[in-house]
Amino acid sequence: MARKDLLDIASLHREEIEFLLDQSTSFKKLFTRSVKKIPALEGKSVLMLFYEASTRTHSSFEVAAKRLSAEVTNFDVDHSSITKGESVRETIETLQAMRTDYIVVRHGHSGLPGMIARQTTASVINAGDGAHEHPTQALLDAFTIKEKFPDPRGKKVLIIGDILHSRVARSTSTLLQKLGVEVAYLGPGSLVPKYGPTTIPRFTDYQAAMAWKPDIVYLLRVQMERQDVQFFPNVREYHRVYGITNARLAEIRDRGLYIMHPGPVNRGVELCDAVMDYERSLITNQVENGISIRMAVLDWLTPGGEFPKQESYIARQQASSTAILP
Amino acid sequence: MLLLQNARIASENSPVLVESDVLIVEGKIQDIGKSLTIPEGARVIDARGRVLMPAMFDAHVHFRAPGFENKETITTGSEAAINGGITGVVMMPNTRPALDSATSVATVLDNAKRKARIPVYTSGCVTKDRQGKELAEIEGMRTLGVKMLTDDGDTTSDPAVLLRAMQYATEFGMFFASHCEVPELAGPRALNEGVMSYRLGIKGSPACAEEIIIDRDIRLARAAGAHVHIQHVSSKLGMETIRWWKSRGDVKVTAEVAPHHLLFTDEHIGDYDTNYKMNPPLRTQADCDALLEGLIEGVFDLIATDHAPHTPFEKAQDFISAPNGITGLDTALVSLYHFFVEPGKFGWDLVVKRYSAEPRRLMGLPVPTIEVGQQAECVLFDTDAETTFTREFMKSKSQNTPFIDQTLKGRVDLVILGTEILLER
Repeated sequence: MARKDLLDIASLHREEIEFLLDQSTSFKKLFTRSVKKIPALEGKSVLMLFYEASTRTHSSFEVAAKRLSAEVTNFDVDHSSITKGESVRETIETLQAMRTDYIVVRHGHSGLPGMIARQTTASVINAGDGAHEHPTQALLDAFTIKEKFPDPRGKKVLIIGDILHSRVARSTSTLLQKLGVEVAYLGPGSLVPKYGPTTIPRFTDYQAAMAWKPDIVYLLRVQMERQDVQFFPNVREYHRVYGITNARLAEIRDRGLYIMHPGPVNRGVELCDAVMDYERSLITNQVENGISIRMAVLDWLTPGGEFPKQESYIARQQASSTAILP
Repeated sequence: MLLLQNARIASENSPVLVESDVLIVEGKIQDIGKSLTIPEGARVIDARGRVLMPAMFDAHVHFRAPGFENKETITTGSEAAINGGITGVVMMPNTRPALDSATSVATVLDNAKRKARIPVYTSGCVTKDRQGKELAEIEGMRTLGVKMLTDDGDTTSDPAVLLRAMQYATEFGMFFASHCEVPELAGPRALNEGVMSYRLGIKGSPACAEEIIIDRDIRLARAAGAHVHIQHVSSKLGMETIRWWKSRGDVKVTAEVAPHHLLFTDEHIGDYDTNYKMNPPLRTQADCDALLEGLIEGVFDLIATDHAPHTPFEKAQDFISAPNGITGLDTALVSLYHFFVEPGKFGWDLVVKRYSAEPRRLMGLPVPTIEVGQQAECVLFDTDAETTFTREFMKSKSQNTPFIDQTLKGRVDLVILGTEILLER
C-alpha cells in the first residue's frame, strides 16, 4: 500500500511497519560498503523544514536523503519571512509552488505536519510535532530492539520520565504495542497522566516498576523547555527518584537489562555518566539506526497525487484497529 | 394582513401542538381559531404540518463590532440570527475597544438601530478593558439599558474585584454573567484534558478549571446578594454544582448551555479539526448526557449559542494557533430540532421555554406568545423539509461551524417581527 505521508504511528498497519523494518535492514547493509550512496531518489528534492532546534533528527534525515541521492534543501526558518510574521500556511503555499518532492517537518505545534500534508502534493514526514508524534524515532527504536530481540513479542519495555510532554513516548509505545511488546510507564505523577492509554501500566515508584521485570529501560529526556510550570521540585530530586543512579546501574547490569534513550542525554539527570559506557546501552545504536530507517521511509513514500482529506478520529481508529495485534 | 392556516402552534406551557389558523393584522395577532374566515385583502399562507412558535432569543452572541468587522458585523450577525429564526440577541462586550463605558455602549446601540433588522442588546464589561482590575463605567452603561455585566471570554480573576462589582451593581438591578475558567489551570489551549488531549499531544483544560469558578462565582453572588448567570456550561460536575446551589434556594443563579456542548465531544476534534475548537472545550459523552439531563430538568434556564465567528484564514491554521469558537445562529434551531426534538429527546415546549421565553425573562423583556392581542414575533418551521448548510445559505460573515455542508432535518420558513416579514423561504 503506497502512502504519500508519514505523519504518525497510530495509523500505520503492521505490514507497513514490518516492511519498513525489513527495508531498513537492507539499507543498513550499505553502510559497510565504501560507497554508501544509491540512486533511489536521484532527481528528487527533499526540503528540511525545522521550526524547532534539532541536531540528531535533522542530520539523520539529511544523511539519509543524500545516501539516496536526493537533493536536500534546508529551509532556514530563522532567516525566512516567518520572522516577518508570515504564517505557516503562507510558507506552505510558497513551498508548494517550488514543487519539492518531500518535506521533512518539525514543529512545536501538534498536528501541524498533518495540516501541511493536506495542502501540498509533496510527501510530508513528521520529524516531531509538539507532544504528538515522532514516527521515525519510534521506527528506529523498534529496529534497534529487533536487532537484540529478533522476535520481540512478549518482551517488556519500561519507559521512564516525562510521558506527558513526550512525542517519543507516544509514538514508540504505540509502535511497540503493535509489535506485541509490553510497555509500562514510570515517572512523577505530574508527568504520567492518569488518562493515558489504559493498556499501559503506570508506575510512580521505581522499585514497583522494576518488579514488573522489564527487559529494556527506555529513559526519556527531561524537557525543561516544554514545561511551562514546575512538574517536579528539582533535577537532583528527579535523578534520585527516577534516574539511573550508580547504585541502580549496578542492579541493571546484574539483571542484564538494555538501556535506551532518544537523546540528547541530560547527564546526571536521567542517567549517571557511567551508563554511557555500559555495554548494554543502545543509545549510539539508536542514532546509527536512525539513518537506515529514514532511508527506508523516504524510499517508501510516494509523492504526488491528491491532497489527503482530514480524517475523523473515529474513522482513523477504525482503519488502524486491524493493525493492532490480538 | 396575514392569515396562517392550519399551523401547529407551540408554546412553552404544553408539549402538545395545537392546530389552528392565526390571523395577524398590523403586526398583532388578532385572531386564533379553526377555519377562520379569510378577511379581504389578507395574504393566506398554507401552514399545514408546519410549527408556528414564538421567535427565539439568543442571550450570548459575539458580533465582533467594533474592532473585528472582518469576522462579523452587527448587520451580518443579525442576519444570521434571522436566518436561524432568532429575533433578538445580546452581544458580548469583548470587542475592541471593549464595551466598558457609556460611550462605547452608545456607539454599538446606535449602530444596531441603524444596521440591524432585529433588536440587538449588549452586555457591558465588569472591569475596564476586561482587565479584571478596575471597575468599568457600570452606572453609565445602565443608563443606556445594559443589564448584563460580564468579562466574557475571560473570567474576572480577582474574586475581590468581582465581589465589589456585584455589591455595587446589584443596587442598580444589574446581573452578572460568568465565563468560568481558572486560567492557570485551563492553559492556553481549548481542548478537554483527557484521553483525547493526551492522544493529540495538546495541553488540555481540565473540567475542574470551569467547575471551580462556577462554584466560586455562585458563592460570591450569594455573599453579595447578587444574581449570577453561568455561561456555556460544558461539564457534568458543573451542571451538578448549579443544580445543588439552585436546590438550596438562597442565591439567585441562572445558567445556559450551548447546542454544541450538547452535541459534540472531544472525540469529534479527530484529526485536529479547528471547527471543534472552542472555549469551554468539548468534553466527553458523559458530560453531554449530563448537560441534556440538566436542560430537561431546568438546571439550565436557557439555550444560547455563544455565536463566535472567526475568519476562514484564522481557522485554517493548525489547532494550537487557531482561535476558539464556532458560529451558531444560522444552525441552532435546525440542529436542536434534528438532534433532539425529532428523535423525541425533548419537545417543542422546551425549545420555546429555553430558547425564546427564558432568555427574554433574563433580560427583563416582554415574552412573545402565539396568543390573541400579542405582537407577532414568530417563526414558521417546516419539520418535513431539510436544510443544507452551504456557504451560500449561511448569513454569518464567518462560517466556522462543524455543520458546514451538512444536511439536517427541519427548515426555518418564515420569520415575522411585528409588521415585518424578516425572512421567507
